[in-house]
Amino acid sequence: MKKKAYIKADDAETSLGHFKGLEVRIGEIIDDEWDEPMGPTPKPGPTTLRSWDHKLLTRYQPSYMPYCQVCCLCTMGKCDLSRDKRGACGLDMKGQQARIVLAAANIGNAAHLAHARHLVDHLIEEFGPREQLKVGPGTEIHAPVSRLVTGMRPRTLEDASIILDYCETQLAHTLSAIHTGQEGSWLDFESKVFHVGMIDQVSMEIADLVQISTLGFPQADPEAPLVQSGIGMMDTNKAIILTIGHNIVPAASITDYITEKRLHEEVEVGGMCCTAWDITRRDPKAKVVGPISWQLRFIRAGSADLIVVDEQCVRTDVVQEAQKVGAPVISTSDKAVMGLPDRSDDSVDSIVEDLVSGKIPGAYIPDHHKVGEVATKVALAIKPIRRKKKYFPSKKQIQKMAAECKKCMECVRACPNDQPIQEAVLAAQVGNFEPLRDLYQNCIGCARCESACPNEYDLHSWMVVAAQEDCKKETYMVRTGRGAIQDIEIRRVGQPIVFGEIPGVIAHVGCANYPGGGKDVHDMAEEFAKRRFIIVTSGCAAISAGHVLDENGQTIYERRDGAFDAGCVLNVGSCVSNPHIAGAAIKIAAIFAKRNLRGNYAEIADYIHNRVGAVGISWGAFSQKAASIAAGFWRLGVPVIVGPHGSKYRRMLLGRADQDRDWMVYDARTGDRVQIAPAPEHLFYAAETVAEANVMTAKLCIRPNDTGKGRSIKLSHYIDIHETSYGFFPDDVWRYIRRDTDIPITLKDKILAQMKENKWKEKQIPDPTLLKEQVYGGGV
Amino acid sequence: MRAVPWQTGEICGPDSAKSLTKADMLKRDLKLAKKPLLIVGHDAVGMQHGKGDMIDYAIALSEAGNIPIVATGGAIKAFIEKGFVGAKSRGAMELAYYLQDPDWKGPHGKGPHDMIMIYGITYYMQWTLLSAVMNFATQITPIALGRYFQPHAKWSFPNMKEKQWHEILDEIVELVKGGK
Repeated sequence: MKKKAYIKADDAETSLGHFKGLEVRIGEIIDDEWDEPMGPTPKPGPTTLRSWDHKLLTRYQPSYMPYCQVCCLCTMGKCDLSRDKRGACGLDMKGQQARIVLAAANIGNAAHLAHARHLVDHLIEEFGPREQLKVGPGTEIHAPVSRLVTGMRPRTLEDASIILDYCETQLAHTLSAIHTGQEGSWLDFESKVFHVGMIDQVSMEIADLVQISTLGFPQADPEAPLVQSGIGMMDTNKAIILTIGHNIVPAASITDYITEKRLHEEVEVGGMCCTAWDITRRDPKAKVVGPISWQLRFIRAGSADLIVVDEQCVRTDVVQEAQKVGAPVISTSDKAVMGLPDRSDDSVDSIVEDLVSGKIPGAYIPDHHKVGEVATKVALAIKPIRRKKKYFPSKKQIQKMAAECKKCMECVRACPNDQPIQEAVLAAQVGNFEPLRDLYQNCIGCARCESACPNEYDLHSWMVVAAQEDCKKETYMVRTGRGAIQDIEIRRVGQPIVFGEIPGVIAHVGCANYPGGGKDVHDMAEEFAKRRFIIVTSGCAAISAGHVLDENGQTIYERRDGAFDAGCVLNVGSCVSNPHIAGAAIKIAAIFAKRNLRGNYAEIADYIHNRVGAVGISWGAFSQKAASIAAGFWRLGVPVIVGPHGSKYRRMLLGRADQDRDWMVYDARTGDRVQIAPAPEHLFYAAETVAEANVMTAKLCIRPNDTGKGRSIKLSHYIDIHETSYGFFPDDVWRYIRRDTDIPITLKDKILAQMKENKWKEKQIPDPTLLKEQVYGGGV
Repeated sequence: MRAVPWQTGEICGPDSAKSLTKADMLKRDLKLAKKPLLIVGHDAVGMQHGKGDMIDYAIALSEAGNIPIVATGGAIKAFIEKGFVGAKSRGAMELAYYLQDPDWKGPHGKGPHDMIMIYGITYYMQWTLLSAVMNFATQITPIALGRYFQPHAKWSFPNMKEKQWHEILDEIVELVKGGK
């Protein structure tokens, strides 16, 4: 694939004739060395895959739960849409909810896509457009998502840029659909949600592909390094630079500078959120402080001498918070300047002087070459000044302040997790700090309690003071992001996954808006890893999964292998690494089933939906990025479970197990319409509790294509987890039995009784597809 | 004073539930309801009520009015451990969806339900479930029996003091028992 070509000649003598003022423009030269035939939908537009979307959305209908009854997006409003009224523009409540879902997915994609664009442009500047892209050994099918969607296989940074051009066009289209007087149907809004989700997967894949290729990250490495993580791991004898966000470029300039100047004994760099993963992928000496919701607790502790923010999920009051502890802030991204003065054109020394002296609270430095030097010099210079001070109140001071509590309960009413904050404050009045300490474990660090407090108490800080000993003990070894899954790993597990003998691939991804602490993520991952599911992690969920020690003092990453195989737990990396998870499912279709990927979206999505027992879990999903990531999985037919806060995304995609007509497929061998079990039952589901999530996870791994052995294994896990969590034998097992071979042998009597009670009849096991054109002979 | 949502940011829109401050306020709606359903979430487990907990309360309310119970989030286990076998289990989100279908017979096959009584689901999640019911299941009368105000219900306690809330809950059992 080549970039656009342009030839101009004022006067040209050729075999075709003599030309004057010749100009030739070629939009794109297609990769003619690739022998895989082009599929039906290269570079699909917003409605190209509409028919596939409608198939999914007919089975998994949106269940809307309006988070707000009014629309206030134009000046004809506010419009009251409650109880299905229509607004001034004609849109009804369902349409409005779908529109907001699309807005969220667009915002999420915009964040990833702009991130990818920045990386690509920056790396082209650094390495040139012809720099080769390489994912790692054993990855002949590199960039599977891009291949599937665009029909291109990006081999250079220039190719990556062309693919982003396409993504940017698509985002403009889906974003424009939200404008008043554009799309009017909830179904078409939802189809566009799927479209932008798919585009999001491409955008993220490009972002990770280019950084893996050029920045020295592990390349599809199951043995990616174990790195230090946790607040207790930060060496406070050194100057500490805290990096927050998602974009490696400024953070890399810091670690590079430290390495170049051999300053590792004097300065250390810790990251939060996805920047943490990406700096440790580049430099395993860097550290992962914690997930995104740990920002405030670490900043307030005063350990960070300097804070460098890039983009996405950064606390927008970071400058004010940093000022409280005398730490300067450097903003580096044009998306998050944070009100700081632009010092791009000033000398390093003058910026350092102004930051160390406190003349300015921070500086905006978009020139990444400068960031590393400024950050390191500031951190080293300011450390001796700052470290003499204490930033947290003492327990005695807290006790005294707590005595003035007005008992208004505003802190509790403001807390997203309804934590008993007032109760803990009242306990602190009498010197009992244990309740405050307990809050620390479940706190998501939003500090809404503080904003609500009429006494303006720093309640979040109080929790951290109460839990200071726990903070020190936060010392973990976590495996940094490995990147893609190797083709050879897919060859090993493709068949057992498709036949159901490896019962599922479960991906723990996303943010840290947990309803009850990050330990839940670890516990869910461990529950299924020990059952020999394949567990994949990324982003903040990958950090939380590693922040629990077993009785031997080991984390899940230390005790479990990092390969893509049964019982393993592998971290693919940051948010933009999520397409490696989708890519693994796509590669199963290519490698095990020999399906063409190139521009062949619907067929491959249909394959994955019916055969690959994959489930995504984002237990702490909070962001619009999480919404767009989920949407990318939905279009591939992969179910996603979120925690209870995820219900605030205001719509689920749910199947009706009790409606037989919804569960029909074509048998690709005969073209017959065949009744299947309701599997996977839902496409987007918020679980109230971990117990419910576990039961649903096991159930959503069931696929129509399971072999008898595979179905029996999957049902055994479902039944066992259901009995443990709910205390009774599930009453819907009979629905999933097609033939005797599906019945787990040790549970035969119970299941047979249930089958009899429900007048069960033997069912055909089809070669399942939702696409008539996939029937052999084209379904004619 | 007008009741306000418990979580301060959860402002919904023009419609809001009526404050439930006396059991008798439910008399008319209970009388009209032919097929109520009691939905009990996981937070009810271990939540004290009198000498028992809110699971015991659900059983008492169910038995008083022959009201079927559906438990969410794994709360079913607590019912089974208490020897109550009549409850069914569903996800809160599944209920929010199924209830929008006016022909849905309910988990016990005793529907279609024309009233739900609900408590014990995490505040904001119950909020979203009730929003679905308010907007898209208008055939159903939703009554929130949790202590904190749920604006999407028809009736809801207005962030009531705990003692008073428990007293009214008991009065509601008596109301239901007394043939509504």
